[in-house]
Amino acid sequence: MKTGIIFDVKEFSLNDGDGIRTTVFFKGCPLRCIWCHNPEGFSSARELFLTQNGCTHCGLCQKSCSHPDCQGLGRCIHICPQGLVKAVGREVDATQLASEIRQAEDLLLFGGGVTLSGGEVMLQPEFAIELIEALKPLHVLIETCGYAPTETFSRVASHCDTVYFDLKLADRDLHRTYTGVYNDLILQNLAWLQNSGIDFRIRTPLIPGITDTDENLAAIATLAKCATVELLPYNPLAGAKYAGLGKNFTTQIQADHSRIRDTASLPDHFILK
Amino acid sequence: MNQAYYNFVVNQKAHRAYRHDFADAEKLASDYSAHGLGDAERVVDRFEKLCADETPVILEGQQIVFLRTVKKAPNIYTDEEWKEIQTKRKLHELGFVSNLTPDYASTIAQGFDKKLETANEYQKREISAILDLCDRYCAEAHRVGREDVAEILQNVPRKGAKTLREALQFFRILHFSLWLEGTYHNTVGRFDLMMNSYYEADLAAGRLTRESAQELIEDFFLSFNLDNDLYHGLQQGDDGQSLVLGGRTLNSDSCFSELSELCLIASRNLMVIDPKLNLRVDKNTPARIYELGTELTEAGLGFPQYSNDDVAIPALLKLGYAYEDAVNYGVAACWEFIVPAVSRDIVNMASLNFSKNVNAAIIASLPTAKTFEELMDSVKDVIRAEVNRLLEDCFYERWFVPSPMMDLLSREEKYNNYGIHGTAIASGTDSLAAVRQYVYDEKRISPERLLRALGTNYRDDPELLHLLRVEAPKMGNDIDWVDAISVELLDTFSDALAGRTNALGGCFRAGTGSALNYIRQAVETGATADGRLMGEPFGTNFSVNLFSKIKGPVSVIRSFTKQHFDKAINGGPLTLEFSSTVFRNEDSKKKVAELVRYFIQRGGHQLQLNAVNFETLRDAQIHPENHGHLVVRIWGWSAYFVELDRCYQDHVMARQQYQV
Repeated sequence: MKTGIIFDVKEFSLNDGDGIRTTVFFKGCPLRCIWCHNPEGFSSARELFLTQNGCTHCGLCQKSCSHPDCQGLGRCIHICPQGLVKAVGREVDATQLASEIRQAEDLLLFGGGVTLSGGEVMLQPEFAIELIEALKPLHVLIETCGYAPTETFSRVASHCDTVYFDLKLADRDLHRTYTGVYNDLILQNLAWLQNSGIDFRIRTPLIPGITDTDENLAAIATLAKCATVELLPYNPLAGAKYAGLGKNFTTQIQADHSRIRDTASLPDHFILK
Repeated sequence: MNQAYYNFVVNQKAHRAYRHDFADAEKLASDYSAHGLGDAERVVDRFEKLCADETPVILEGQQIVFLRTVKKAPNIYTDEEWKEIQTKRKLHELGFVSNLTPDYASTIAQGFDKKLETANEYQKREISAILDLCDRYCAEAHRVGREDVAEILQNVPRKGAKTLREALQFFRILHFSLWLEGTYHNTVGRFDLMMNSYYEADLAAGRLTRESAQELIEDFFLSFNLDNDLYHGLQQGDDGQSLVLGGRTLNSDSCFSELSELCLIASRNLMVIDPKLNLRVDKNTPARIYELGTELTEAGLGFPQYSNDDVAIPALLKLGYAYEDAVNYGVAACWEFIVPAVSRDIVNMASLNFSKNVNAAIIASLPTAKTFEELMDSVKDVIRAEVNRLLEDCFYERWFVPSPMMDLLSREEKYNNYGIHGTAIASGTDSLAAVRQYVYDEKRISPERLLRALGTNYRDDPELLHLLRVEAPKMGNDIDWVDAISVELLDTFSDALAGRTNALGGCFRAGTGSALNYIRQAVETGATADGRLMGEPFGTNFSVNLFSKIKGPVSVIRSFTKQHFDKAINGGPLTLEFSSTVFRNEDSKKKVAELVRYFIQRGGHQLQLNAVNFETLRDAQIHPENHGHLVVRIWGWSAYFVELDRCYQDHVMARQQYQV
């Protein structure tokens, strides 16, 4: 009976692997990529989320309340008539979550499955393993930033069917600048994965001026050793959810489509999603 | 299609310049009245006059001709006479025949010369009037050097059609005639089945190629958009010009052909609201057909609407339709199942409002019902009583203004069944689910508190409003015990109708559609226990509440395929709105197609999908002048967004939208 903390379960997620999939978003991540579009995945703790659009400023949520699950959030989450004031982060039991997802097994079994994403799955290894086992025979794919002790990484990865491995920056220092950590562990885990026999795919988000440089993509091509690298276009709405968490999205990125088109000149095993 | 023709009618709408008013329109009815003319006599006389008043116009590049040039048909009754008719007779809607599918196929095959052999005097006069107009079109064709048009009109409609173009031209003349006569919501029926033999013969003889046929179909489809702004509808676009593709033959062979595919492509190329495409599918329909359908869904027209043969055919058999008729079903103006040529069903006699009736039962019985089961018993009693109340009126046959043309185009009057819509099942279900969980199971909310909140529109209890609206269990999330309530509600409704007959001996058909009642009946429904405020709109047809927190389209499909459609088959689709970004690549489109297939394989009966872009809709409300061509699906038909009343625009924007 392992519990974990997640921030969303998304049905019919279209960009997280083959076929029709349900994606579970783990809460908590060791990286802080400046372009991240899922800031509710940063912290491993439950936190307040205020949807701004539709708020009539009635002030109801600011009145003090005695609900145990509102304590520490600074607002009452059980009062907004529009449901705009809520907590993100839900403690779930792995077996329970798996059985909820498996209700749609008659759809997910055929060519699709379940994707574990985040946040970072590897931060909750025991929960992840129990969830994967409970989801079987569904196909389970993990999307990971690759940052975890190799022992943990390899143990979790061995349970799943496919790994989507994010490789953002090949340069050690740049990696630290833009994600907050060095990529030593990530490269070490990539090397392990490449020799593991586990089905995997390398994915690189195309962040204009940061990851989509010729140098970086060439270096990633080398690291990939001819394996397919999937290039993910930059999400221009990346900053959308920061305000809801009371955070600022300060990153200035100009989505430059001409650069993305330039990738046509890259090696064959790069595919643009 | 011919681009110049398309621009002329779709972008410039310049064909409307050929229209004129009927002279002395006011005088006609008073003349009829003064001479004491009978009903049929008036219909036929007006038809003759309208035909005579029509100006033959052949547009540049147009293949299928006949353009309505008389703007508005004059009334055939004076106001006083009509008031008297309304008090003396039971009418349906406008009083004219509507919402039927005529027997186009055999008429097109036989020709009017053959039809004249069995026609009565009125029908002969109408045929003669329309043939006269055809002759004037023929003369006009010669005058403007359109020998191709003249040649076609020398064969049809007098003789049966021999080629696809003749058949389409014949169809256009019949369709035009029905509208001119006053019959409305004239549906098309099983188009590919009707036209496929002509198409194949043309291909074999080398008269057509796939490409030239594509162009011809597109030209024909445009004909549905020439006059549709003149037709009756509650909103612009609600004109009933629905067309059915696919399905099966009597021998269970698939009817989906290359011609069906051309139709799906034509609609996508044209991007206009008519005809409204419906696709009949079943569990054996190959993925490719769903993918073709999804290509069209992506275009954003709200087509095709899917119907499930595996569900509809057995259910129609159960209602007493003969096998050959059940297999041959099509849809009426929106989604009501109807059999071409033989149905005289009235598919939209009334609407049972689940939300309002559940609410009435909760208000009346919550203080005394000891258990949830006891409360459910009262709910069922209220629904049965409401059915009885509706049937008091729906029992009686309706009087229609005679339609010699529709009679001519009907094989026989085999069915006189009446359909009753079922509106707002999700609101009714959610209300009961909330009561069960919070009042009975958890005892968290007292009956008094809930009733007070309902009585005051939640004014003084925002915490309860939040709980019921935001946190309570909702239909659409694949929660079995919640969905089971919807099954009980729908069963109660259909069981109450089972075995009941109308004055003509026809049966009553329970449905899952709302038509416009998701707004009209919502206005008269007070605050409900699902956290819905007084007057707030319901979901359209058979769909989730607008404000429900929903897990996603998979759960919605699961929740809305558990009901017993074998006894509730008047029609009314689940509606899913997808953000247009969902269709951004081939892979995603395949997944949408797969989801539709899942719905069918789980035994859903009908499904319509919208591809919408919220920002575009928002901009269209602010700058309608920039979005004249933006199309959305409303309740069973598609319309130009900017031509809709605001409440219908807002409703589309408020629906659950599934994103990437």
